[in-house]
Amino acid sequence: MSRPPSVIRQTIVTPIILIVVLLAMAALSYQFGSRAFNRTAIEMFINIMVVVGLYAFVGNSGLLSFGHISFMCLGAYMTAWLTIPPVMKSITLKGLPAWLLHTQLPMWVATPISGVFAALFALIVGRIIMRLSGIAASIATFGLLGVVNNVYSNWDSVTGGQGSIVGIPPTMNVWIGWLGAAVAIVTAYLYSISRSGLALRAARDEEVAARASGVDIVRERLVAFVVSAFIIGLAGAFYAHFLSIVNPGSFYLRTTFITLSMLVVGGMYSLSGAVAGVVAISVLIELFRDLEKGVSVGGLTVGLPNGAQEIAIGIITIVILIYLPSGLTRNREFSWRNWPLQRRRLVPPVQTALKETN
Amino acid sequence: MRFDRIRFDRILGILAGAATLWFAPAHAADEIVVGFATAASGFMQAYDKPAQDAALIRIDEINKAGGLLGKKIKPVFADTKTDQAEGAKAGLAVLDQGAELVIVSCDYDFGAPAALQAQAAGKVSFFLCAESIKAGIPGVGPSSFSASVLAAVQGATMSEWAYNKKNARTFYRLLDSWTVYNKGICDGFDWQMPHLKDAKLVGSDTFKNDDASIASQITRIKSLPKEPDAIMLCTMMPGAVSAIKQIRAAGIKSMILNGSGVDGSYWLNAVPDLSNFYVPVQGSVYGDDPNPKVNEFNKKYKDVTGGDPSSQYVYPGYVLIDVWAKAVERAKTTDAAGVVAELEKMNNEPTLFGPRTFTKDLHHQNQGRYLIVDTEAGKPKVVDQWTISEKIPVDYLVSK
Repeated sequence: MSRPPSVIRQTIVTPIILIVVLLAMAALSYQFGSRAFNRTAIEMFINIMVVVGLYAFVGNSGLLSFGHISFMCLGAYMTAWLTIPPVMKSITLKGLPAWLLHTQLPMWVATPISGVFAALFALIVGRIIMRLSGIAASIATFGLLGVVNNVYSNWDSVTGGQGSIVGIPPTMNVWIGWLGAAVAIVTAYLYSISRSGLALRAARDEEVAARASGVDIVRERLVAFVVSAFIIGLAGAFYAHFLSIVNPGSFYLRTTFITLSMLVVGGMYSLSGAVAGVVAISVLIELFRDLEKGVSVGGLTVGLPNGAQEIAIGIITIVILIYLPSGLTRNREFSWRNWPLQRRRLVPPVQTALKETN
Repeated sequence: MRFDRIRFDRILGILAGAATLWFAPAHAADEIVVGFATAASGFMQAYDKPAQDAALIRIDEINKAGGLLGKKIKPVFADTKTDQAEGAKAGLAVLDQGAELVIVSCDYDFGAPAALQAQAAGKVSFFLCAESIKAGIPGVGPSSFSASVLAAVQGATMSEWAYNKKNARTFYRLLDSWTVYNKGICDGFDWQMPHLKDAKLVGSDTFKNDDASIASQITRIKSLPKEPDAIMLCTMMPGAVSAIKQIRAAGIKSMILNGSGVDGSYWLNAVPDLSNFYVPVQGSVYGDDPNPKVNEFNKKYKDVTGGDPSSQYVYPGYVLIDVWAKAVERAKTTDAAGVVAELEKMNNEPTLFGPRTFTKDLHHQNQGRYLIVDTEAGKPKVVDQWTISEKIPVDYLVSK
């Protein structure tokens, strides 16, 4: 009897496909896109980081989180503190500790630190929140978002309060954006095939059985929470370099809901879904933005009224969810076999339970 | 299944298709392009649109008078959608269309991403009406300006004017900590207070714009041994209306001093018979500006847009094009270096809406002539004008 192929052998194509397709997009954008279009591409890559980070937690644990954008906030501000020239910091951010006030690190050092900072924070708060389950946990994460936003909006001497802090070096281009997305995808992939990831997915699909098999659900959720916070912290750092100004308003409800809807539209239980959701929504947004600007037809410019894009995206999201409630990818992963989508090897959970009881 | 198979290719197809649509239209050599990276949708539109209309009126006037350096000014537009990331793209979009001047959103936070792009491209940028010190050199760079006057000047103007003209000696400071603009007004007030001999701050309190009730703040004012002469109210719409209403409903009759953010008569029927209420403005929208040219402008604005200016925040848009065009004429070029140098030479340069001064350290107004609008029995009217006796130091403003 031959051994079944290892988990990696079975699943490694998914991240490879995703990364290569994104690389192709980056190359197309770099080659043919205007500067504004390239920024759209970078924004899409950063959104991929966020949504893939969300997937690492939501997809594997099955718990919806409304609080992950607070990790983006933590990462972005940490990057701001580490990369803004000390001369500027000493005027606007007087409350920073002296060692931080006099530090200026390059992006390649500051970004991982920002990710680790967000992960550490997640480790501390996650120890409490992850004990909750179901909707209680989701609401608790929402509370987390509110707390972080309020602290960052009002701690004037350290965060600059409601206002923006400026001076983050604008070191961002399509290739770096792509690299960030690739790192996020690889991290989320490695987590999901790890022992912890598999155990957590088992608990997601069949909690009682997983517990009976010795899965410590609270612990595995915490691991997922920390991993996703790390990825989203990195995304926050990228976002800070992308915009070169940060303010707490960027990391609140609007971002929370747009990224969650990207995940849900793509298919929240698959990595391919996370990436596809971002790409699909970003492309649609761009398309409608162009239509708003107007298309010339024989010397006449026809355009949608301003604001039509937001309405259209809302409607399209609803329509997608009506016809494909489990998202564009139907929670499956991209793979060579059965191109482009392969059915997940997991049998639907309810059936499993029934079969086992029978 | 059919859907599954085509989706993947379709996404790529759309992306590639969209990419080919991006081609910047070339502009003619006899035109000077001015780019508006402003909000045409979202909440900032309410602030950007009126000022932008005023800017377009000035552009039209210049074009009718023969243009700038013999060329016509051609405005191009990109919508920021009241979003920072979109703002940066809008900035790039107008730059790609050849903009020599990039005009950005009224608010620093929303305007800065586009202004930073203009700065990086070596072009001059102007905030339509931002009133934070950051909207300029400290927050964008050496080619960035704002057409309005710093919020701090409003607080400083009102307190000094009330001290000198209304004999106010006891002040109460009530800050709505919602925005940087509100804090700016109170920063100016704080700076001015020690300069006013015998003036006393009898209390200080804060609230948030969306607080439904400010009863506890009012109780603290009521419990003072004597009602203060003046309340410095650092707030803005929409919360201002509720706060003012509550203060008056509680029977507090002190004069209320404000920033320009509450200018306009559109909300006055919400507080019937409001009196003893003072607002600093750069020009009057009530048809009684001491400068007849301002009243002419108001008429022109109504002809073009179909409505009267709703508040004084229309005017900085006009000022912006006015001072920039003057600088271009003097520099005989639209190159940033020449234009910035000419702008920085402006010292009390007269405009329809008060003089403008720009220096190497400050691309904003830390002193400025304000008209004082007094509202009595619900009727606003210009009663005075005031220029603060001393400029607010740049160091103080930056450190706030």
